[in-house]
Amino acid sequence: MALLEVEDLCIDYKTKNGYLKAVDGVSFSLERGASLGFVGESGCGKTTIGMGLMGMLPPNGVVRRGRILFEGEDLLRVSAEEMRRVRWRKIAMIFQAAMNALNPVQRVGEQVAEAMLVHNPSLGKEKALKAVEELFELVGLQTDRIRDYPHQYSGGMKQRAIIAMSLACRPSLIIADEPTTALDVIVQDQILAEIRALQKEFNIGIIFISHDISIVADMCHDIGIMYAGQLVEYGPREDVFDSPAHPYTRALLSSFPTLTGKRTDLVPIAGETPDLVHPPEGCRFYDRCQEQIPACREKVSRWVAISPGHKALCCRCEMDGR
Amino acid sequence: MMENQGNAIIEIQNVSKVYRSRGALFGVRAKDVVALRQVSLKIYKGEIFGLVGESGSGKTTVGRLIVGLEEITSGEIFLDQENVTGLKGKALKAFRRKVQMIFQDPYQSLNPQRSVLDTVSEPLSIHRVGRSADRKEMAHKVLKSVGLSPPEAFFYRYPHRLSGGQRQRVAIARAMVLNPEFVIADEPTSMLDASISAQIFNILLKMRSTFHVTQMFITHSLAAARYLCDRIAVIYRGQVMEVGSGETIIRNPRHPYTQALIDALPKFKGSGEIKQYGTLLIEEREVNGEPMGCPFYPRCTVAEIRCEREIPGLRMLEEGHYVACFNV
Amino acid sequence: MAEETFRTETKGMERYPGLTAFLEGWGIFRQSLLGKIGLVLLIMFALMALCSYIPPLIDPMYNPMTGVDPVITCSTGPSRAHWLGTDFMGRDILSQLLAGARVAFMVGVSAAFMSIVLGTAIGMTAGYMGRFMDTFLMRLADMIMVMPTLLVVLILAAVFGQLNIWTIVLIIALFRWPGVSRIIRGQTLSLKQRPFIEAAKVAGASHVRIIFRHIMPNVLPLAFLFMTFRVTSAIIIEAALAFLGFGDPGTVSWGMMLQWVWKTGHMFKAPYWLLPPGICISLITLSFYMLGRAMDEVLDPRLRKEDQTD
Ligand SMILES: Nc1ncnc2c1ncn2[C@@H]1O[C@H](COP(=O)(O)OP(=O)(O)O)[C@@H](O)[C@H]1O
Ligand SMILES: Nc1ncnc2c1ncn2[C@@H]1O[C@H](COP(=O)(O)OP(=O)(O)O)[C@@H](O)[C@H]1O
Ligand code: SF4
Ligand SMILES: [Mg+2]
Ligand SMILES: [Mg+2]
Repeated sequence: MALLEVEDLCIDYKTKNGYLKAVDGVSFSLERGASLGFVGESGCGKTTIGMGLMGMLPPNGVVRRGRILFEGEDLLRVSAEEMRRVRWRKIAMIFQAAMNALNPVQRVGEQVAEAMLVHNPSLGKEKALKAVEELFELVGLQTDRIRDYPHQYSGGMKQRAIIAMSLACRPSLIIADEPTTALDVIVQDQILAEIRALQKEFNIGIIFISHDISIVADMCHDIGIMYAGQLVEYGPREDVFDSPAHPYTRALLSSFPTLTGKRTDLVPIAGETPDLVHPPEGCRFYDRCQEQIPACREKVSRWVAISPGHKALCCRCEMDGR
Repeated sequence: MMENQGNAIIEIQNVSKVYRSRGALFGVRAKDVVALRQVSLKIYKGEIFGLVGESGSGKTTVGRLIVGLEEITSGEIFLDQENVTGLKGKALKAFRRKVQMIFQDPYQSLNPQRSVLDTVSEPLSIHRVGRSADRKEMAHKVLKSVGLSPPEAFFYRYPHRLSGGQRQRVAIARAMVLNPEFVIADEPTSMLDASISAQIFNILLKMRSTFHVTQMFITHSLAAARYLCDRIAVIYRGQVMEVGSGETIIRNPRHPYTQALIDALPKFKGSGEIKQYGTLLIEEREVNGEPMGCPFYPRCTVAEIRCEREIPGLRMLEEGHYVACFNV
Repeated sequence: MAEETFRTETKGMERYPGLTAFLEGWGIFRQSLLGKIGLVLLIMFALMALCSYIPPLIDPMYNPMTGVDPVITCSTGPSRAHWLGTDFMGRDILSQLLAGARVAFMVGVSAAFMSIVLGTAIGMTAGYMGRFMDTFLMRLADMIMVMPTLLVVLILAAVFGQLNIWTIVLIIALFRWPGVSRIIRGQTLSLKQRPFIEAAKVAGASHVRIIFRHIMPNVLPLAFLFMTFRVTSAIIIEAALAFLGFGDPGTVSWGMMLQWVWKTGHMFKAPYWLLPPGICISLITLSFYMLGRAMDEVLDPRLRKEDQTD
């Protein structure tokens, strides 16, 4: 049984202009110890998926439909009490810019210990602090920095502390939402290596969210490309990278400067993302797509299998496939 | 020093910048920050020069010193062989016609209470270029060249009705409207999405090809620098570590720090092409007393004894390739 | 993009940016109950002030100051000729009340306007110039701020005898700028650091230009907000002065009316005379206050209600 199976997840935000369809019909699955990455421009719904999985949507967010099967249990059907048990103990999330959310007037070690005690009160303060020491070693922080305050930490160290916090209850799934966006390349590289090592050591499933396709490709075996609330391409990283099927994926790849290969011209994607309150009927990428055909606009795109495990949500691919 | 080519448009010589801590609140005096130490660079006419480094390395400070937003602590800056250090009054105003800057955050660099037309034509009215109708015409032209078309549709818009990419285009238009000789672009895309960034990059390239504007492009991304720049300088903790052509810096980096930077890039695709250097220490080396040697010494695997005590100066390895390291 | 989806479409109005901004602001204002009540009350008072010109035209005896009903020699209750009754010497209370509204607006708005102009100018100068100028102006502000305005005016009145209404307005303005200037200074300090100011500097803008073209437009909304609160305090100060007997004897203000009630011993005998000016003073200050609160919401995006569940 897969660790996590998400089927047809739809999440709306209630806004004054109507329902904003932030996540629309997203399905994917994740095996124990595997890693899956979501890539897309800001506003495409990556964070919303993460929050939805954690059951921590903002007050105006609603799950319209779908199923989230975690270890065989539908998280959308369980009680709030039950959800609290699952959250952090089994599913942890590293939030976007979480390192800036550390309490500046409390010692970092204590904050990690506190996070532990909240979910495991029987542990006791002594033991919790002991466990924090282990966690610090695990994420590569010096244990003599436990009693320091956040401002004495560098950005990378804070991020490590946050990772330590998320590991506190040894979860089987970690959702990492842009965990390295604010960091420099060298620190980012170290943090990513750390996450990879921990994932291997504890056989943790990871959902990795980023706007940077190169990081996701570096981290994850499977990649999901998101556009305007929808998953538009999904598959093993080699396939998605080497033979991208969806025009958006292709456009995204060719708008990214790289270090290797020929120094080709970047092709920016013209136009802007569609209004998610009134999304287009057909393909959401239609207006900006270089390869559009009339059918794209009229009918709702369907998933097309490109190769085993690699699929795309595109009319064009459907036509070409036939 | 670098070769004495006559066509340097901007030259900075031994520039240092120390931010003095102000106010000894409760008697605790914060330490002075040495943002730049003895930085020398030459930027040639018509090129896009990349300044690459991590955050806090002093990139923005270089830009702010050049445009005169910050007072220089020591050293000199030349524009077209003319000393422009610490200009005042009329001379400063004349200088500002020639040197412009594009700021990092487009959400902060436009006045929320002024329309696009106000913003773009302001430099023209400051320098009394043309009459009101001419200014509008010029604003129209420059807005069009940054891809905001039709310009009339943007004239009377306010920043809050523009997307991040559109704002940055307005900022570029404002910098370009006076037809300056030299423009500094300080991480103009760090707040924008990848697909939008590519648009901005291409606009900067177009500015060079159509208006022949020399540019300094500040970035933390080697890949972006490679795409845009003819030459790249790598800066670390306020000191220039390596200068060379874009291809040299990426294919043949000689400074251990540049090599560490290249190591750290995520490279799934075609990783075979890029060498791993392994010049970064896992754990920082302790430095006794005041750090006075190579800024990279605490992290460098190939350091020698004198690296701790002496500052390596930029040395020429081959034509146009300079490295500040004892060990190369 | 996030901000894209929240834009209110106002196509075709691009050319009238002021109008668009106004309409957007009005949209938010309209959602505030406080603001609506305040506005309705204010319009009412404004109408009263306008109507104050009518009674003297009908009959000279309705002149609020000098018109005396020839047949009445003491305070009488409401009647057909005098809807709200008359005062101790037979002057029409309704006419006085209407004239009082005019005076309240005049005093409130002009004193507030003057103190806001002063406060904004001083605040911007202090914040932008910094250093010595800042220290000097802010010390001055502190000194004036700790002086109780009412007491100062009372002392001045005692020294110089009766004060003219415009003198009172001027004194209020001179003593009520420090609060505003502190706020504006703070705002200027934070604006001064913003990149768009630096961008203007790089473009070659002079200090004067930066202050007037870049900083002022950004602090003006705040200044106007404070103006509504200042109006309230100016009206109260004038009323208190008049009630204590230091008002301008040549002007009929609500405070003056209250003083006459008090001085002639009608405090507990003539509710028809006491209540109207009392209620009017409370309501007009309340309405300016409510208006200010609603404008605060318009100006402060943080207070904007996120489109949550209805
Ligand atoms: N609390 C909210 N209320 C209304 N809309 C929201 C809210 N949070 C996010 N959105 C909208 O939902 C969409 C997806 O947002 P998000 O999941 O944060 O995207 P990402 O993480 O990919 O940048 C965006 O269009 C955003 O504007
Ligand atoms: N106004 C300032 N006062 C004090 N220190 C500053 C100031 N501006 C920058 N610094 C310091 O100078 C160094 C270089 O900063 P900066 O030039 O902004 O770096 P970068 O642009 O490469 O991120 C940093 O250590 C920063 O903390
Ligand atoms: S000078 Fe020494 S410490 Fe610095 S980079 Fe070279 S070898 Fe390393
Ligand atoms: Mg996000
Ligand atoms: Mg910077």
